[in-house]
Amino acid sequence: MIRRELSGVFKRALSQSAARRQEHLPTTQSPIVSKLHFFNSVTGNDTQIPTFRVLDGVGKPLEGAKIPEIDEALARRLYENMMLLPTLDNVLYNVQRQGKISFYMTAHGEEATIVGSAAALEMDDEVLGQYREMGVLLWRGFSLDKVMAQCFGNEEDTSGKGRQMPVHFGSPEHHFHTISSPLATQIPQAAGVAYALRRTPSRRSRSIAACFFGEGAASEGDFHAGLMLASTIPSPALFIARNNGFAISTPSTEQYYGDGIASRGPGYGIDTVRVDGNDILAVIAAVREARKRCLEQGRAVLVEAMTYRVGHHSTSDDSFAYRARAEVEDRKRIDNPITRFQLFMESRGWWDADSEAELKARLKADVMKAFKRAESLKRCEVGELFTDVYGGQEPWNIREQREELSGLLKKYGTIWEPWRNELAKFKNKGQDLVNPK
Amino acid sequence: MHILKSPSSLNAARTLASLNASTTHRRFNSTLEPVPAGGHLPSIATSKILRTTRETALRTPGLTWSDEDASAPSRTIVGGRETRKMNTYQAIRDAMSIALAKDENAVVFGEDVAFGGVFRCTMGLAEEFGRERVFNTPLTEQGIAGFGIGMALMGHTAIAEIQFADYIYPAFDQLVNEAAKIRYRSGGTYNVGGLTIRTPTMSVGHGGLYHSQSPEGFFMGASGLKIVIPRSPIQAKGLLLGSIRDPNPVIFMEPKILYRSAVEQVPVDDFELPLGQAETLVAGSDLTLLTWGTPVYHCEAAMHLLTSPPPELESVVPASLRSAKIELIDLRSILPWDVETITESVKRTGRLVIVHEAGLTAGVGAEISAEVQKRCFLKLNAPVKRVAGWDTPVALQYEKFHIPDAIRILDALVETLAY
Repeated sequence: MIRRELSGVFKRALSQSAARRQEHLPTTQSPIVSKLHFFNSVTGNDTQIPTFRVLDGVGKPLEGAKIPEIDEALARRLYENMMLLPTLDNVLYNVQRQGKISFYMTAHGEEATIVGSAAALEMDDEVLGQYREMGVLLWRGFSLDKVMAQCFGNEEDTSGKGRQMPVHFGSPEHHFHTISSPLATQIPQAAGVAYALRRTPSRRSRSIAACFFGEGAASEGDFHAGLMLASTIPSPALFIARNNGFAISTPSTEQYYGDGIASRGPGYGIDTVRVDGNDILAVIAAVREARKRCLEQGRAVLVEAMTYRVGHHSTSDDSFAYRARAEVEDRKRIDNPITRFQLFMESRGWWDADSEAELKARLKADVMKAFKRAESLKRCEVGELFTDVYGGQEPWNIREQREELSGLLKKYGTIWEPWRNELAKFKNKGQDLVNPK
Repeated sequence: MHILKSPSSLNAARTLASLNASTTHRRFNSTLEPVPAGGHLPSIATSKILRTTRETALRTPGLTWSDEDASAPSRTIVGGRETRKMNTYQAIRDAMSIALAKDENAVVFGEDVAFGGVFRCTMGLAEEFGRERVFNTPLTEQGIAGFGIGMALMGHTAIAEIQFADYIYPAFDQLVNEAAKIRYRSGGTYNVGGLTIRTPTMSVGHGGLYHSQSPEGFFMGASGLKIVIPRSPIQAKGLLLGSIRDPNPVIFMEPKILYRSAVEQVPVDDFELPLGQAETLVAGSDLTLLTWGTPVYHCEAAMHLLTSPPPELESVVPASLRSAKIELIDLRSILPWDVETITESVKRTGRLVIVHEAGLTAGVGAEISAEVQKRCFLKLNAPVKRVAGWDTPVALQYEKFHIPDAIRILDALVETLAY
C-alpha cells in the first residue's frame, strides 16, 4: 500500500523533470524535434552565401553601400601597388620565357584581393601565404631588388640564398613567412603563429596571423586541421581564401560540391564572409572587419574572396589547354579589379590619364632597372649548399659531405667543362670550397 | 581506428589494461594485477645499467647542470644535490615542469595532455602552469605538428605530443617538408628550433600493429631534424631538456614500456645530456653491441646469457666464447648519430651487432652498417649483423617472436664471435 503510493509520487516527480528535460539533450543547446528533417544550407534558407561588394563593375558605388574610409593618399597607394604587381608580373613572366629565370607565377586578376587584404592588415600582422601574395610584400615595402634577387636566386637573395624556386619569398622584417611549395601547410602553422602572438604580452590583442591560400589548397587536410585548431584552442588567425576559380586546370566545380569555402566556416563555428575579391574597397572593408573580429574574439575568422585567375597557373602551364580564350578575354573586361578602382578614383577627381601614363612609365622603368641589375649578379658562394641545414653545431655528415664535394670540385672543377661553366655562375667560382680559408 | 582514443580519455589507459585483465585468473591468484597500459618489463628491475643510487645518479657521464646561477664556483660539484626515485614518465614530467618553469615562452600541448596524458607524462602540469600553457588539442596530428611549427616560427618553445609514434604519419609532411627545411629554405632567416615533438614508441607486449611501431628510420633522411631515444629516467630527463633547448626541431621518442618499468634515482635539479653522442655502457674488446631504447635491456640480458649460460643453453654457447668481452653502446641520438664512438669501438673490436625493434629493411641499422663497413672495412672480422624486427607489421599474438629478445641477440653474438 505505502509502497504503491510512494512509487506514484516518485513516478510523478520523474515525469515532471523528464518533461523539463525534453527541450534538449543533457550537454547541448540543440533543440529536440520529433519531425525528421534533413538540412543542406548554411544560410538556413537554401540560398548560397551572399557576396559582399560596394562598387559595381565600372567603379560606381552601389546603392546604399558604405564606402570604407580612404583618402586620396591611400587610394593612390592602393592603385600604385595594384599596377606595380602586373608590371612586375609581365616583366618576370617574359624573363622566364627568355630562359633567364626558371619559373614564375603571375597574379593577374587577383590584384584587388591581395593588395586590398594587405592594406586592411597592420604592417606587422604575421602573414603566411601560399605563393600568389607577392602583392602583400610590395605593399609592405619589400624592394624590387629583393624581388629580383629571389627570382634570379642571386647572391642578394635574402629570402633563401638561391635555394628555392622563384616567387618563394620570405622576410621576417616584413613579417612575411617564407613561402614553401607544399600547399596548405601554412594553415595550421598560422594557428600556431597566432597562438604565439596571443602569448606575447606586447602583441596580444594587437596582432593577428593572416593566412592566404587558394580554393584548391582548401581541400587539403591541413585546411581542416588549421581551422579546427584556430577555432577551438582558439587563436587569432585570419584565413583568407582566394577563390580564383582554378587549381591549375581543375575548375572549382571539380574542387568542391558545397557552397565554396565560406560554407565551411560555420562548420567550425567561426565568423565568415564572402566578398567580391575584384572590388578592392569591398575587400578592404571586409578584411578590416574580419581582422577586428579576429582580435576581439581571439579566434579564427574566414574570408572567401571571389576572384578570377586571368593568367596561367604558372610559366609551366598553358591554360588555353583547358579553357577558352574568349572566357579569359571576357573576364579581363568584366569586373576588372584595376579598371573598377581606376574609374572610382577618376570619379573622385583623384586620377586622370596623365597620372596613368606617368605611373606606368615610372613603374616600368623601376622594374626594368631592378631586373637589369639583378641579371648581372652572381649566385651565392657554392658552399652555401651546405649551410643552414642545422642550427648550432654542424653535424659530421654535413661537414664530411662538404669536404667530399670540395675534393670533387678541386679534381674536376677546372678540367670538366660542364662543372667549370656552372662554377663560373657562383660568387668566387667555388673557391670557397676548393681553397677554404 | 585509434582504439585507445575512446570518448572518455580516462578510459584510454584502462582499455589496454582491461584487454589484459580478462586473461588473468584473478579469482585464483589475487596477487596478479592487470598489465599497465604502457606495458611492463620485469627484467629491467635487476638491470645494472639503471642508476639506482644517488651517488651513481649524480655521476651520470656527460651530465651538465643548467643552474641559473652561472657564477657558482664549480658546475660539477654534486655535493648537496638531491635525487628522487622516479620512473620514466615521472622523469619526463619533471623535465617538462622545469622547462615550463624556466621558459615563459614554453607550452605543452597534444591530445589528452591536460588531464595528465594517457601515460601520465603531463600529470599536474595543467594545474601548475594553467590551461593556457598546458592544453589539449583536437585530434589532428598534422594540426599538432603544424601548430607547433607556427609557434616555433615566432621563437616560442613548443613541446608537442603525438600520442603514439604509430600515429605520427599524418604529421610527416609538416615534419619533413616544413620543420626540417625551414631554416635552410629561408636562408637562415626563419627557424623552428623551439619545436620538440614527444611521442611514445616501441613495443609494449600487446600493442599489435598500431601501438608498437618504431618509426625513427622514416625520419632519418630528413636532414634538419634531430631524433633522440632515451633508455631510462635519467636519460629521458636530461635528453629531453637537451632536446627542448637544442636550436633544431627534435623528435623525442620515448619507449613506452619503460615508462613504469625503468626506475632510477633522478637528480631533481635542471640538467642536460648531450645530443648526438652515444654512451658506452659496458666496455669490451671482442664485439661491439649497438642499440637504443628498450633493446638495451635485452642486450644486457643476452650478455649475461653469453657469460654464464643456464644449463639448457650450454650446448649452444661454445665455452670458448663465454669469456668474450662485449662492448655495449646505447646510441641515444639517431640523427645525427655518433659515428665517431661507433667507429672507434668497431675498429678495436672488429665485430658489430646492431639491434633495433624496427623492421630490418631500411631500418637505422642499415645506414649504420653501410657507414661502418666503409670506415672499418679492413678491421672487420665478421659481417655487420643486424638483429631487428621482421619485415612484417607487428602482429599481436606473435610479438614474442617479432621483437628481438635476449635469445635472438645471444644467437647473433655467438654467430658473429664465431665467424
